[in-house]
Amino acid sequence: MKNILFIIMFFILQGCTTKHTYPASEKIKKVSINTQDSNHALKKDTIENNLETSEFEDEFEDETKETSDPLSTYNRMITSFNDTIITYALNPVSKAYAYIVPRPIRTGVGNAIHNIQFPIRFVNNLLQGKFQNVSDETERFIVNSTVGLAGFLDPAKEYMQIPAHNEDFGQTLGYYGVNPGFHIVLPFFGPSNIRDLAGLTIDGYLSPLVNVRSLEKYKLSKNLTQTTAIIAGYFINKNSLHLGEYENLKKDALDLYPFLRDIYEQKRVADIEK
Amino acid sequence: MFKRILILLLFSVVLLNAIEESKIEKVMSVKVKKVLQILKNKSYSQRQKNKKAIKIMDSVFDYQTMAKISLGKYWKKLTKTEKKQFSKAFEKKIKHSYVDKLKLYNNQAVIIKGIKKIKSNRITLTNKIIGNHETYKVVYLFYKKKKNNQWYIYDVHLAGVSIIQTYRKQFSEFLKTKSFKQLLKSL
Repeated sequence: MKNILFIIMFFILQGCTTKHTYPASEKIKKVSINTQDSNHALKKDTIENNLETSEFEDEFEDETKETSDPLSTYNRMITSFNDTIITYALNPVSKAYAYIVPRPIRTGVGNAIHNIQFPIRFVNNLLQGKFQNVSDETERFIVNSTVGLAGFLDPAKEYMQIPAHNEDFGQTLGYYGVNPGFHIVLPFFGPSNIRDLAGLTIDGYLSPLVNVRSLEKYKLSKNLTQTTAIIAGYFINKNSLHLGEYENLKKDALDLYPFLRDIYEQKRVADIEK
Repeated sequence: MFKRILILLLFSVVLLNAIEESKIEKVMSVKVKKVLQILKNKSYSQRQKNKKAIKIMDSVFDYQTMAKISLGKYWKKLTKTEKKQFSKAFEKKIKHSYVDKLKLYNNQAVIIKGIKKIKSNRITLTNKIIGNHETYKVVYLFYKKKKNNQWYIYDVHLAGVSIIQTYRKQFSEFLKTKSFKQLLKSL
């Protein structure tokens, strides 16, 4: 592009000089043809360039499109609240915990919590008609709960190469075409939206770790205190395995709230498509 | 007879594409391997690692196109010098962010899952990063530059999140209330 511009400049300048010194019309003609040629090339180049650009523009979502965000003031507030909690409570506690508890044990705890949430994955894979995933998950649960010492180890993945298939009710709703609705940031839990909030509630019924009145018989957690303790433990354990990642991600943000919101919504779309 | 020629022709076209595509996969797998070797090498300082890793990846990234897409419609409003300034600042930002992510590297294995041709001038290459717990999908998006018929990366999807899409949204929202100069500064 730049080269072509130089060439044109060169020809134009040369044209000027030739005009003055050699008034021979033939030479001028030749020069002007050359200019026309490169002009033509330039035009073709810009057209191609524009084509490429418009192809990209079609591929990406319209960046000027307003996202409906009626809760943005509240969301911003909760985002900075969560940010403070992560920075001044969750991170220091996770660091201390990571210092005391060796990594394999923390990984094991994470595995065990994941394993016991099997009903969520089972039901949601089933509801979406993903039968291979249902069978994978069932096999994983049986193998890991027994050979894997109550899910502490993950022999299903390590030795049998059976992958986990995370599906939650928010994804099931999305799978059947339910729109996400407004974005809503939950205290402690972070970004969510109306659909996923509904999903989270349903998954609470399915999870053995969340107490639900009159379902205590089927649950490991019998009351709200226990549930809160389990969830806090889960967050600390998980964060201890991902120290520094949040800060790292945060650096890419010009403005934290919309940044986290867009990432969350994009990720959910990808999760649902999977 | 005619049918056979047609099939043969079709096959050769596919084959032609396959060579082109397999080259991307090969080049990328070599690059990824090299970067991993550098990251695992304990005799390098973090700074040396960053420099070396960037050097390896540089030639496949089209920073200018990335900068252009990330600014969306606003790009056309810029003057030539502004475009240059922005591209430069954006390139720096992307590299910085990439280098920052390398710091989190903790012996995870990277598996190349293969390439997929989306259309004649778009190819995606999927990598899987296997951590202790989760597996992350990283997808590199390539486009064929018309000028030299070479393939370049114009976007990367990390666990389903497009880096360039995220920047587009951020820049557009930023420019609604603030000026281009402020944007340059904050990069």
